[in-house]
Amino acid sequence: MGESGAGKSTLLRLVAGLEHPDRGLIRVGGRVYFDSAAGIDLPPWRRRTGYVAQQQALFPHLTVFDNVAFGLRAAGRWPRDIATRVTTALARLDVGDLAERRPAEISGGQAQRVALARALVLDPDVLLLDEPLAALDLRTRAQVRGALKAVLASAPSPRATLFVTHDPLEAMVFGDRIAALEDGRVTQVGSREELLARPRSPYVAAFLGINMFRGRIVSRDGGIVQIRTGEDGGELSAVDPGAGGAEVVAIVHPREITLFRKAPGGSAQNTYVGPITEIVPEPPNGERVRVALGTRPPLVAEVTDRAVLQLELREGLEVMAMFKATGVTVFR
Amino acid sequence: MLVRAALSLAAATLLCFLALPIISLFVRVSPATLWGRLGQPVVRQALWLSLGTSAAATLLVVLFGLPVAYLLATREFRAKRVVQTLVELPIVLPPTAAGVGLLLAFGRAGLAGGVLTAVGIELPFTTLAVVVAQVFVATPFFISSATAGLAAVERRYTDAAATLGATPAFGFFRVLLPMALPAILAGAAMSWARALGEFGATITFAGNLPGRTQTMPLAVYTALQNDLSAAVALSVLLVILSFTILLGLRFAPWGAAVGGASARLRGR
Repeated sequence: MGESGAGKSTLLRLVAGLEHPDRGLIRVGGRVYFDSAAGIDLPPWRRRTGYVAQQQALFPHLTVFDNVAFGLRAAGRWPRDIATRVTTALARLDVGDLAERRPAEISGGQAQRVALARALVLDPDVLLLDEPLAALDLRTRAQVRGALKAVLASAPSPRATLFVTHDPLEAMVFGDRIAALEDGRVTQVGSREELLARPRSPYVAAFLGINMFRGRIVSRDGGIVQIRTGEDGGELSAVDPGAGGAEVVAIVHPREITLFRKAPGGSAQNTYVGPITEIVPEPPNGERVRVALGTRPPLVAEVTDRAVLQLELREGLEVMAMFKATGVTVFR
Repeated sequence: MLVRAALSLAAATLLCFLALPIISLFVRVSPATLWGRLGQPVVRQALWLSLGTSAAATLLVVLFGLPVAYLLATREFRAKRVVQTLVELPIVLPPTAAGVGLLLAFGRAGLAGGVLTAVGIELPFTTLAVVVAQVFVATPFFISSATAGLAAVERRYTDAAATLGATPAFGFFRVLLPMALPAILAGAAMSWARALGEFGATITFAGNLPGRTQTMPLAVYTALQNDLSAAVALSVLLVILSFTILLGLRFAPWGAAVGGASARLRGR
């Protein structure tokens, strides 16, 4: 993930073979795509990448079916084999009924699903997704995001997916390993939890330094819902997001969380007790400090360094963390 | 109000100016005379010769012009502007000058003429020379339209084709060519029209031999010397022929773009 101009698209185009690096090594699985030392530079059509760009590029003169069949025909497959594979791929992305339409006759969300089917039907070594949801409106984006998640999670899934985004939520939702790209350089690579607890640049701190939980709504009462987080069975209260599915993603910004040594007066709906597992100053040597807590669910709070001194915070200390239900953002 | 009146006046004047000569041709000749003229061997020969040579010339222009258009549209090279200017030169060159050039190049004593003579080909004053002259003057119209059409196909489509495993050749025939087809056909139609109307280079390089090199425009010119009504009949025939084919192209399924831009495909 990175901001626009950081070099995300260039990175994908280098892997796809649409741009050529001055030097370096590009290897996917066991296959070397590019190696300046060995003089290897496979052309794009021999690389087996599945490339889906932000701006959809379905061939306007071909039907949806022929678009998805394009790569199979280029590979010289038998017509019957092609028909089976294309039908399966379209059904998988829920666009089977559009097979005979032209790209001009389908919506943006449908076009992106077809583009995904077109890439996936070739069983690529690596799926390259360049902001595949960015051009869609908010509602369509949520739908296509769901479809994409399902496809990436279910067999036969691509062996690897390189997903480029400027949206922290997308990075959090999709990223097993997240690389932060700033000005053409990878500044940090790690799991969501690692980047959350130990951001190594202000950018990562600002954009990834958020508590995120996948969970399901288990009860609702008076405009407040209880969300049980998936991994650890912890619970949190949030403002009711309205009608929809029970599966949600809840986000709490570390600055919403206040730390106490003893229970204070007043009532925040979310109160947790647990030991401090780590204290990390937020870069670059700012006045704010990140405190990771061994609560259920695990939280990261952001406090001032004065608070650290006043509360005499240290690793291992048992503290109380509180935040309001209004401090939780709920996504579906 | 005034502006609208001025616009209408300008449009009406121009349309009258363009239509008047055509109308004048048609009022001077009765359908019966026209039919009668068609029966004359000289007219029939000229008609078939024109159709045959212009079709052959168009075919050659497309066959050799398409690769050039592809290179001009997709590659960057240092001499590109020089090549483009050279290709467009026949548009501004007076056709008679082009004919003299062709004579000096492919004539018996010409630069390439010696080679042609050695392999037993003699070009000047043959039907083949008519085709050569037409190709020379018609090529630029095809190249410029086809190049513009191919260049207008956005890179995202050729990129998509390449990552889907399409070799450049497969991508050319399945993506680039179909997407640029309206512009390519428009270019071919314009070249054909130019070849059909070709006069100056033909009469200079190929001569005016009935049955061999006397195409319709040359026949019109020759008839005008002693028989105005014959010239009129031939001209009317040419008008009908050109108009029918251009109209047909415009109403073909892919047709709206012929003579115009292929904006419909480029837009997406």
